[in-house]
Amino acid sequence: MSSGIIETTGLTRSYGDICALKPLDLVVPEGEWLSVMGHSGSGKSTLLNLVGGLDRPSNGSLRVGGKELLTLSEDGLARFRREFIGIIFQQHHLVPYLTAVENVMLAQYFHSVPDEAEARSALERVGLGHRLKNRPGELSGGEQQRVCIARAIINSPKLLLGDEPTGNLDHKSTVMVMDLLKELRAEEKFTIIMVTHNQEVAAWGDRTIYLDDGVLVREERMRS
Amino acid sequence: MVLVKLISLFISWAAIVLVLLRGYPGRRPIVSAACIAGFALGLAGGGILIRAFTGELPFWIIRGVVAGSLIFFWGVSVAAFYRSTGRRYVRTRDEHFVASSIYAGAFSLISGILMGWLCASRLPVADSPVSMYMIVALAGATLALAAYALEKLLPAEITVSQAGLAAVVVSLFLFCCSTMPRLDLFSPLTMKVMKFTHDFVHQFFESMLIPDHLFIRSYLWDYIGLLFGNSVGFWGGLIIWFTPVVLVILAIQFERLPLVAHIRQGAVRRKLLAAAIRERRFRLVIPVIALVIMAAAVYKSRYPTVEYWDPKPLPVSADPSGEIFIPKKGEVNLEDGKLHKYLFKKGGKEARFFVLMTPQGKLTVALDACAICKPDGYGQAEGTVICYYCKTLIPLETVGKPGGCNPVPINFTEKEDGVRIDGITLINDWGNTVQATTRIKEGGK
Repeated sequence: MSSGIIETTGLTRSYGDICALKPLDLVVPEGEWLSVMGHSGSGKSTLLNLVGGLDRPSNGSLRVGGKELLTLSEDGLARFRREFIGIIFQQHHLVPYLTAVENVMLAQYFHSVPDEAEARSALERVGLGHRLKNRPGELSGGEQQRVCIARAIINSPKLLLGDEPTGNLDHKSTVMVMDLLKELRAEEKFTIIMVTHNQEVAAWGDRTIYLDDGVLVREERMRS
Repeated sequence: MVLVKLISLFISWAAIVLVLLRGYPGRRPIVSAACIAGFALGLAGGGILIRAFTGELPFWIIRGVVAGSLIFFWGVSVAAFYRSTGRRYVRTRDEHFVASSIYAGAFSLISGILMGWLCASRLPVADSPVSMYMIVALAGATLALAAYALEKLLPAEITVSQAGLAAVVVSLFLFCCSTMPRLDLFSPLTMKVMKFTHDFVHQFFESMLIPDHLFIRSYLWDYIGLLFGNSVGFWGGLIIWFTPVVLVILAIQFERLPLVAHIRQGAVRRKLLAAAIRERRFRLVIPVIALVIMAAAVYKSRYPTVEYWDPKPLPVSADPSGEIFIPKKGEVNLEDGKLHKYLFKKGGKEARFFVLMTPQGKLTVALDACAICKPDGYGQAEGTVICYYCKTLIPLETVGKPGGCNPVPINFTEKEDGVRIDGITLINDWGNTVQATTRIKEGGK
């Protein structure tokens, strides 16, 4: 059996009588960009939440970076999220009364200690060097998403999770964000799991898996 | 009942062992063995000393030793603070020695000896059989072993620096001393500070010939007068008391963080810094606890819970010849070794005095006041009389002698059936010494 940064065996998540994710066996090798597609309610976000340690499985085994998440305590899980995971949401979830650089520093604060110079440099890397002191309300959707990317990568995660990060963006901004992620991945060598409805966005990945009603129905390897 | 009196000392002892074990994590067997051996030695040695020398000498010695530990702690704290302000951290040879088994064992042994000695000082001098000492030694050893087990349950994050270790051990010694008025160090310290300040101010400003000096005019006395206030000793004492532990806290707070500039990845760099800051924060726990213990020691010293023999003054009157007669076997027994107070009033004036049988079997009569402090009077506890105002302990042997903090002795005649005191002389003595002194102490106006 091949080993990867993520290994699931019979991974299940139920909410009462509803089984959001049926026993799933999945291996994601380190450095891979995996796109997850499926219609609404197919279990994409459930899978992402489980892999990111935001939720606990009902059954099965889930190893991420060699750690069995089921055995981790709440503190251990929080430490795992802090040090191992970066997440980009569709809705950004930026703190509205903090500036772009302060939003990035907030992630540093919860990880270790804030370092403004490093936060500025991260924003410069995503092309927002001129928008450091702007609050989220003063930024466009694409710019806000780039702040989210800076915030997600600032702590050098091994695994970057994206929950429809381009869902709210126009085509131009989408291409800009995806280009940026590709560039950063080449530099930082992190693994990406990205949930999307957009076939074009999924095509940026190395592999796409399709979920339907909590079951992995198909997988497709992209051309390099 | 005797063991109940030792509870606070036992708790302190367990805390000392606990902190020593945490301070020398690689030397647990040596530290615990040295602690137990030291405790037994100190208990035995203290007991022998107390039985060999009557009077206050053994208590003065142990009080001096604990005072010495405070001076040692001052040195440690200043060194720690000085080191923390240095530019580069260099591990010196003395630090290697401090971390060695020999040092850990010696420090634990000395701590044990001191604690055992303090426990011996708390036991009643006259009626403590050898078995009592053995029970206390057994209790000390049991507590040390309990601390050994308990230390393993403490969070691993809490670490102790050498200065922090000294802080908590010395603060616990000071706390133990503050539970016994005859060993208390804070009150004598405040008195020394007050005396030093008064002497210094007096000598210094007298030499400048105020108010004739060219620059320093008489109005300055309004400010200089503040240094003569009663609270100078207290505040000065607090500074001496708390400064070393504050220095230790500052030394830890000012410790240099590790050099991380060479680490390329920002997250790793920040994580290292965060770990160092977190470790430093946990290292502050022990000195902060020491600070609280020292504050508790001050509180105990200011408001001791010792039971004083504090009789209400009995009113007496003079016969037509002006003499006060107090029978030896009357309402009270003057020869029972206790302090008996009386109040004499005449012509709108009054004087308080007491009669006491000294351990030498001699009756003595003295005013219920000294020539220095406010006339708050005296109580009797633990083989001494104690001034309620300044908490100075006066051995029973020296009561009846003039000077200093001693109660002002008065002339009397001892007869077979009682003592006779001249009423007029008594009123005059009170007026001439006590009230005049009080006027000066309250501002000299």
